[in-house]
Amino acid sequence: MKAGNLMVPLQEYLEPGMTLKEASNILRRAKRGEERHGAKGLPVLDVSGNMVGFLSIRDILKAVFPSYMTLMDMGDFTWEGMVEDLARKAGGRTVSELMTSKVISVSVDAPLMECIDHMLKNHVNKLPVLGHDGGVAGILYEKDVFLAITRLLDGDTGGGG
Amino acid sequence: MTPVVMGPAFWTATAIFILSYVVIISEKIHKTVVAIAGASLMLVLGILAQREAFHVPELGVDWNVIFLLISMMVIINILRPTGAFEYIAIRSAKWGKGSPIRILIIFNLVTAVISALLNNITTILLIAPVVIFIADALEVDPLPYLISCALASNIGGTATLIGDPPNIMIASKAELTFMDFIYNLTPVIVVVMAAYILAIKLIWGKRLVTRDELKARIMAMDESEAIKDPALLKKSLVVLALVLIGFVLHGALHLQPATVALAGASLLLLLSGTRDPQPALSEVEWSTIFFFIGLFIIIGGVVKVGLISWMSVKALELTRGSLFATSMVLMWFSAFASAFIDNIPYVATMNPLVVDMARQLWPGLSGAQQLHQPGLMPVWWSLALGACLGGNGTAIGASANVIVVGMSEKMGRRITFGRFMIYGMPLMVMTVAISTVYVWLRYYVFMI
Repeated sequence: MKAGNLMVPLQEYLEPGMTLKEASNILRRAKRGEERHGAKGLPVLDVSGNMVGFLSIRDILKAVFPSYMTLMDMGDFTWEGMVEDLARKAGGRTVSELMTSKVISVSVDAPLMECIDHMLKNHVNKLPVLGHDGGVAGILYEKDVFLAITRLLDGDTGGGG
Repeated sequence: MTPVVMGPAFWTATAIFILSYVVIISEKIHKTVVAIAGASLMLVLGILAQREAFHVPELGVDWNVIFLLISMMVIINILRPTGAFEYIAIRSAKWGKGSPIRILIIFNLVTAVISALLNNITTILLIAPVVIFIADALEVDPLPYLISCALASNIGGTATLIGDPPNIMIASKAELTFMDFIYNLTPVIVVVMAAYILAIKLIWGKRLVTRDELKARIMAMDESEAIKDPALLKKSLVVLALVLIGFVLHGALHLQPATVALAGASLLLLLSGTRDPQPALSEVEWSTIFFFIGLFIIIGGVVKVGLISWMSVKALELTRGSLFATSMVLMWFSAFASAFIDNIPYVATMNPLVVDMARQLWPGLSGAQQLHQPGLMPVWWSLALGACLGGNGTAIGASANVIVVGMSEKMGRRITFGRFMIYGMPLMVMTVAISTVYVWLRYYVFMI
């Protein structure tokens, strides 16, 4: 089995110049297959279709999380309305400011074990899958890897891959 | 006096020294890498034998400085996760009753006191995030808090032997005790701090206002929630108190400060009951430690070839042998030099220079007798005051300044070089001016 067999083909993406507000609307209504399930993250592509980053829900949480909170244990002392204030301020920030620009990706030919290796060691639950032309062909989700493994547990020999 | 021979070794060592300092100032390569590279060159080219670099106190690494720094860092690394610093910060903010200017003043005083007892870098790393947090809660500009706390940490650090690296280096070189610093520097720092507090109140007092409902946010915080490990906190505070008592007594007990600090660090490691000392040890700022090691060896090289001796002859010619003039010139020269270059390499260079002056002036004496000549004492104190307080002049003058500038940049509020200097430079000049009057009155008018 290879990354290309399990990935969900790319349907939607973000652009670096979008505001956080625009981006979160796209994330919320993103298609997966035929249905609009929303997505927990989407690749960020520039005008020529090259991936320049990835914006996930975690990056949006970080957008309202002040940097000083990571330096000290202040979690016990926050006040009512803190997130609301910071969210209002974060709405106008751009995707390029907030995205993760060092993206771990795999090629469509990557063996499944390589994908699992990346997911476990880098604590990510989705991997952009790059096609032979270098563009993003799809996204490999942890959940689909899990489903593939459960099929193997049930004795399926994984005929498709 | 042995005459200086300006042969190939002299020029090679001088070239390594100048090149290293130029690259350190240019910041093109990390200063620690430059220092180690310069030190290696001194050894590889045979300017300094390895034995001299490692084992001869006048030429090589000052292990007293190194172990004092490492031991204090280990103690702080164990104390840090207990939540003590968060507790103190929240407590201070509540003590200020949520008033922005009162909190600014209290944070400055707390920062100064902690900096006098622990190293500045750690103090500012722990205080700054809480300061921004409190400013956010009050919806006031965090920059006055950040800039002033960095300045206060440099002022506070000047008060004691352990407060600031230049003092640690001077104490070790000049064989001065913790109590020498308490008698000679702490009184002037108390005066300097009072004037400084008055100044920041004038600068920022009117601009920092908040609303009552925001003050309530502060008053609603329960600082006792900050304490994560009460048992370890108690042990840490007991050890810290013992270490301070040890510092007070180290002169009388004939123990070096590094011995006291190392004993404290080992006691706390024992008491903490840790199964793995690696985290407490690995969080030591090794980059700073190796910066010191590299610098000591580079300076050892230029001491050995006679460059420092030559410089001290020229310096005494310049002040016509007057120690009063030397002291005054040294204070102001040190202040402006430290504002623009790191005061650690600066003091590393000036220390042997002052020692050499003592050799020229009192050739018949040696050791502490020579270094503690009444005429020379104000020179040491002027060096300490100038080098420590001078760091406040610019954003790059002291590590604490560099840290707050970096932190505010991370939260999207850039403090430009100019913006920092508008506050830092006049305040630095004020503090050095007070110190000048102090040194003049105390050592040259009343001679006490």
